[in-house]
Amino acid sequence: MKTKQLLLGLCLATLAIPLQAQEITLKGKELFGDITARQIGPALMSGRIIDMETHPKNAQVIYTGTAGGGVWKSQDGGASYTPIFDDHIQSIGQVAIDPTDPDQTVWVGTGEIWTRNSVSVGDGLYRTKDSGANWEYIKGFENSERISGIEIHPKDGNTVYVGVLGSLWNDSKDRGVYKTIDGGKTWEKILYVNEKTGVADLVMDPTNPNILYASMWEHRRTAWDFNSGGINSGLHKSTDGGKTWQKIHNGFPEGQLGRIGVAVSPSNPKIVYAVIESEKDEDKGLYRSEDGGASWKHTNGDFSLTVRPFYFSRIVVDPKNPDVVVKGGLSGSISRDGGNTFKTLGNMHSDIHDIVFDINNSDVMHVGTDGGVYRSWNGGTTMEIVSNLPLSQFYQISVDNAEPYRIYGGLQDNGSWYGPSSSPGGIEARDWVRVGVGDGFRVLPHPTKEILYSEMQGADNVWRYDMERNYTKNVKPLPAKGSADLRFNWNPPMATSAHQPDRFYMGSQFLHVSEDMGDTWKVISPDLTTNDPSKQKKNSGGLSADNSGAETHTTIFTIAESPVDQKVIWVGTDDGNVQVTKNGGKNWENVVKNISGLPTNTWVYHIEASVHGAGIAYAVFEGHARGDMKPYVYKTTDYGKTWKSIVTDDIPIFARNLQEDYENEDLLFLGTEKGLYITVDGGKKWSHFTNNFPPTAIHFLDLQKKTNDLVAGTHGRGVIIIDDISILRQIKPEIIDKNVHFFPTKTGIMVEEGGFGGNATELEFVGPNPGTSLKIKYYLKKRHTFGKMTLTIEDLEGNEVATLSPGKSKGINIVSWNYTTKAPKLAAAKTFAFGGFTSLRAKAGTYKAILKKGKERYETTFEIKNDPKSFITDAERAEQFTISNQLFDIQEDLAYMVYQINLMTTKATDAIKKDTKATKTAQPLIDELNTLKNTLVVTTGDNYVGTAPPQLREKLSTLYSDVAVNFEAPSAAQKDNIKLLSDRFKTAQTDFEKIKAKQFSKFSKYLEKAGEQTIEFKSKEAFIDLKE
Amino acid sequence: MKTIKLFALAIIFSFAVTTQAQTAEEIVANYFENTGGEEAWNKLESLQMNAVVNQGFDIPVTIIQTKDGRQAIKINLQGQEITQLAFDGEVAWVTNFQTQKAEKMDSETIETFKKLAGKAFPSPFLNYKEKGHTIALLGEEIIDGTNTFKVEITMDPIIVDGKEVENKSVYYFEDENFVPIQTASEVTQGPTKGQTAKESFSDYTEVDGLYFPFAITFGGQPVDIKSIEVNPEIDDSVFKMPTQ
Repeated sequence: MKTKQLLLGLCLATLAIPLQAQEITLKGKELFGDITARQIGPALMSGRIIDMETHPKNAQVIYTGTAGGGVWKSQDGGASYTPIFDDHIQSIGQVAIDPTDPDQTVWVGTGEIWTRNSVSVGDGLYRTKDSGANWEYIKGFENSERISGIEIHPKDGNTVYVGVLGSLWNDSKDRGVYKTIDGGKTWEKILYVNEKTGVADLVMDPTNPNILYASMWEHRRTAWDFNSGGINSGLHKSTDGGKTWQKIHNGFPEGQLGRIGVAVSPSNPKIVYAVIESEKDEDKGLYRSEDGGASWKHTNGDFSLTVRPFYFSRIVVDPKNPDVVVKGGLSGSISRDGGNTFKTLGNMHSDIHDIVFDINNSDVMHVGTDGGVYRSWNGGTTMEIVSNLPLSQFYQISVDNAEPYRIYGGLQDNGSWYGPSSSPGGIEARDWVRVGVGDGFRVLPHPTKEILYSEMQGADNVWRYDMERNYTKNVKPLPAKGSADLRFNWNPPMATSAHQPDRFYMGSQFLHVSEDMGDTWKVISPDLTTNDPSKQKKNSGGLSADNSGAETHTTIFTIAESPVDQKVIWVGTDDGNVQVTKNGGKNWENVVKNISGLPTNTWVYHIEASVHGAGIAYAVFEGHARGDMKPYVYKTTDYGKTWKSIVTDDIPIFARNLQEDYENEDLLFLGTEKGLYITVDGGKKWSHFTNNFPPTAIHFLDLQKKTNDLVAGTHGRGVIIIDDISILRQIKPEIIDKNVHFFPTKTGIMVEEGGFGGNATELEFVGPNPGTSLKIKYYLKKRHTFGKMTLTIEDLEGNEVATLSPGKSKGINIVSWNYTTKAPKLAAAKTFAFGGFTSLRAKAGTYKAILKKGKERYETTFEIKNDPKSFITDAERAEQFTISNQLFDIQEDLAYMVYQINLMTTKATDAIKKDTKATKTAQPLIDELNTLKNTLVVTTGDNYVGTAPPQLREKLSTLYSDVAVNFEAPSAAQKDNIKLLSDRFKTAQTDFEKIKAKQFSKFSKYLEKAGEQTIEFKSKEAFIDLKE
Repeated sequence: MKTIKLFALAIIFSFAVTTQAQTAEEIVANYFENTGGEEAWNKLESLQMNAVVNQGFDIPVTIIQTKDGRQAIKINLQGQEITQLAFDGEVAWVTNFQTQKAEKMDSETIETFKKLAGKAFPSPFLNYKEKGHTIALLGEEIIDGTNTFKVEITMDPIIVDGKEVENKSVYYFEDENFVPIQTASEVTQGPTKGQTAKESFSDYTEVDGLYFPFAITFGGQPVDIKSIEVNPEIDDSVFKMPTQ
């Protein structure tokens, strides 16, 4: 092995060549190592679902494609779901199971297809061949943005049709129906209309793979308008595997068409349904064909069939009955008469996007809504929510300074909420408090009072909510005499002040400020937007009016008062202005013109006013609403006179939010459409953070000042927290160059808690807590793979207190210590004494962590402290510590006694077996020892209902555990009990000594006489160390 | 399956500073060629690992496994020696912690033990073709901050809840030394079905010319191996289910 080791040594030496030019070259996982995000949900309101699919043969398996939370798979018939697409973009358009290999091969088309204003984007097509463990990116759909259909040949998995809806915001040639016959290696575009018209629905006849239906939809969104419909929309059919296509409009409405959903009855493919958006209200709705689309009859034009076609166009036919049709919609509805009449589905979250029937039992349905997945056991009459889908879509989040701090935010179609960053037993549904209805957007806590501000879409309501009194007041700014109508963004900006706790800002086209928490308002700016009338359309929607206010434009979108100087206020608008005042609103300057390289009128999504200087700010722009997917992030240090771009090619897509660190100006966090990026060098290089952080759209970031937790509000995976990012402040080239580097250890607080946890059921999502353990953090230059590596805790005298399992990753490692030391060694017995599994807690004080790696030794010193909130006195604590240790020692003394008893008994029994002459001395010894032992430990029964009455060992261990897990001194009752048991042990010791002096001594003499070896007892210390 | 893997896991290698492995076959070949050698590995008849697991208190664990697939995991709790799980070639059994009596595992699991007996000893990659396994290089991935080759191994399918399921694991071989440092596989049954179970390996140490990982983590639970005995004397009774 010598030569090989030499080689390895050489290899190491090569790696150790000093890094060039004092740069931090590490990126991504090499840098972040063990730093792992914590996904805390919530799941109680879940989030938007786009597509649901069932396995064709196994009713246990269901897939759910979500708007911003990836793909989830159920293997228990829909009881619960597991994410299987966490390494890829999280916006999903279509999931398809290969009917020729349904257990393994699944295709995913990304980019959600129910095209509301706030949709995320996709980046193409993926396939797994191992049921989701690994995904392959299928080339050819890089610019597809949204994939609406994937149909796979039932006999040939290499023949696949893909329908591309395409870009929502701009012209694109990447639309239409594509076909591969070689499993995705090459693609042919087999149906294309124009750059504005994409595939809304693509369906294959289940009995004849040559028959395909494709609905083409002309549509376009801008930031201020939405148009659905045009002369290019239509329903096409191919009967030759896509070679040729015909429009099948016989019986269709006249004129322009909008979005069309289509469904073929699996049990009778001649029966086809189409739900059609058309010009005239009287011919909108459901059409039925009984001849495979050759002719159509209008069957129903009720509200549920015509509502918001861009959002609800999914129709699904019962696999067993061609006359049972379900349609997505505001509430979802079902027909049992072939589409002539409909009734509403049972109560569930509104906005139904997809429905699947159980493959064996049509009474069982799974329904995807704006608020998660629901199941019905009775044909859609009553619905129950799936409780473990944390898909919540935050528009914004904020945090307060409570302990534990709380997280506030508003959700797409799911109101406004706050919840704790930690909760006994984990963060679960019961922990979240609703603080707003409708669509929720921004929620801000008052800086000092138990009050928060929340709102709904377009500032239709702005609430000041008193959290202590559960009291709400509407404090929305309103136009006054002589003022213009107010234009509020769908997602209206609000801000509080670091200088004046009662100050509250809101932005319409003007900046409004209140000094009394919204009771009175003052406008402190002119119209800060472009006020471009061409972007202020009153009618949106196209063929179906859709005036929700979601397209209100030329509004203020972000407000930031400088934490350094309250006179400096920044305002960013959705039409591209960056306005700054240095005198509290008397004068404003639009400084966006000073930014070079930024397309004009690019949406200002966020301005971060820096704590590092009044003139320092960051501006994040994004132009995705006009098809510009590039990130734009700039920094100014002179109030906007000059700007510097801080993005690099490391960031692949547009960004929405930036959070600066409060201490290290070079440490920045960027929330993008595809996850979190971090720079430790002011933007020279960015690293994608991927440890338990899926590449979901991040809409907002905040940094909690006390804990240094980075809190991300994602639009599809709820709240994701990276606990205590302060370690990233310390990343310096000189550290990266070391083999091992201990970062300073934050003082550990032994939090005095002893509750009973939560009440979530098995199928409910529970978000993990950060824990209260001490965190030992170190950097390893190289992954430790060969040779021993240990991590121990010692006191300052060098006594080993605890042994920990060290992290071995290259990069940052984090090891937790929960302040426990060791458990007592218990006497051997027939059953367990569960109290004996309790470890002693370390005393507050200074300790060392010792890392040994081969022959090298590294150490760091740290402190642990008692809970500063404790009501327990030092004297009480000292008593608890002393008595716990006494009980610990008694138990080990007892264990040692029982060890000796067992050894003597065995020897005596063996002696009798050998020679009956031994009976005279051995038998009395055995009898006496057994009598004593039966009072010391349980010698019969089992660990459950056959349990024997507890003896001294069992009683002592229970008492020890009660005292040791506590923080207070033992109670009077416990002290009495301690006295009782200690006395009993003393009596046992006396009895044992008597036996030793009498019966054992006689037996020993017999042994000597008989020439037998006498018993050799291990010392107590050796016995304790024995690993058995 | 976790317990099976626990057993199946001995794995090792030595160091070859190879430049670029092109294929899964080459990665596996490197891994054996440079480590004690395939011949030495094939001479391995049985293993005994003496380990400690800490769950707030130390639990001594003894793991015994043989080439033909017999295995036993024994733990010592408060002076009691308990066979947590064992398989004697015919019967897989556990000790019920309530009654402290031996109980047979369910028949599907026993069939799985029989079917996979010896197939992962000492590594599923050793003689993988003869064992009927297939391997595939899925690419490279950063694991524990270091670059690895991601090799998937497919073993015989198993029956779970009446249905046949695939039996695959991904092994991540550290690129500079070809030692596996992590595995990942889908949990096929129980409450965590569908989730990914990960195991990681480090502290590789030589024992009689073969390298074994002395620090293993199963689903977040570290196992600290104190010693490994190669081809130890084994009392066959450790595998046998006791009669009550």
